[in-house]
Amino acid sequence: MRTLILVALLASVGTSASYAQGDADSDVEAKILATEHMWGQAYVSKDPKALERILDDAFVNIDSDGVVQTKAEVVAEVSTSTIVQFLTESMVVRLHGNTAIVTGIFQLKGVDHGKPFAQRERFVDTWFYKNGQWVSIAGLVTRIGQ
Amino acid sequence: MKLGKSLRITALRQRASLMRTIGCLLVLVYATSLPGSAQKAGDSNPATAVRALENERVKAQARNDNDALDLILDNALVYIESGKLISKGDYLLRVKSAKPPLQQIVLEAMTVRTVENTAIVVGTYRKTDGKDGKSLKRWRFVDTWVNKKGSWMLVAAAATPLSK
Repeated sequence: MRTLILVALLASVGTSASYAQGDADSDVEAKILATEHMWGQAYVSKDPKALERILDDAFVNIDSDGVVQTKAEVVAEVSTSTIVQFLTESMVVRLHGNTAIVTGIFQLKGVDHGKPFAQRERFVDTWFYKNGQWVSIAGLVTRIGQ
Repeated sequence: MKLGKSLRITALRQRASLMRTIGCLLVLVYATSLPGSAQKAGDSNPATAVRALENERVKAQARNDNDALDLILDNALVYIESGKLISKGDYLLRVKSAKPPLQQIVLEAMTVRTVENTAIVVGTYRKTDGKDGKSLKRWRFVDTWVNKKGSWMLVAAAATPLSK
């Protein structure tokens, strides 16, 4: 009997460690999309602290020029952001267990050295469920129509 | 004397039961310490397995081998290139309908980082003209692989041209 209890306990520890999530898929998708919005707004409000929580320490991003950015570089970019408007469209979340893929388009407007600019780019972000929360582990941005 | 023999038998049975329990627990501890996704035989290193699959994908694409690609690409694959979002079906159709001389993809450096059952690959590739081998554009890519039931599946692939 004791053996059975131990076996059951050990088995349950193994499964909960590999995937600890009780939310319905729709709730998870909503959470991730809300975090994506938060990410965009961090550029407008120049809030690097928001990104500290959202991005995994090993986060890697490829910008639309093909340049690799670390978490520290993205956070620094937010601090000096010249973006005044950040809108997202056509965002879709695809869940693969504890991994999620988000695709979408963002439109941003800003003023750089007195010159207004506007960009519309497509992105893909990879999210991972880690220590009880979803964090982004990778992203790529590319210009539309290249 | 009889009582002593009986006690010895009981002690031996208890020891055997304890050994079985320990054996059982050791097997379970080993099983639960493995990553959520078991690796195929010979692919004990996830980074090596994913790197091999990246190369296999390029080779399969070059020989229009949709059957091989079908095994690697997840059904919910999202593929982004040149700003366009393409599904697995569209991607396979494109490979199938490509006529020689195909543009060849030459993989360059890549790094693989694994987080439990997920792998992120960042690297560069260049496209060369299938006719004269002349180098065309260079791209930076990020691919996401997820281990599903022991097999690594490509769930997202995206690339953007290098501006410099």
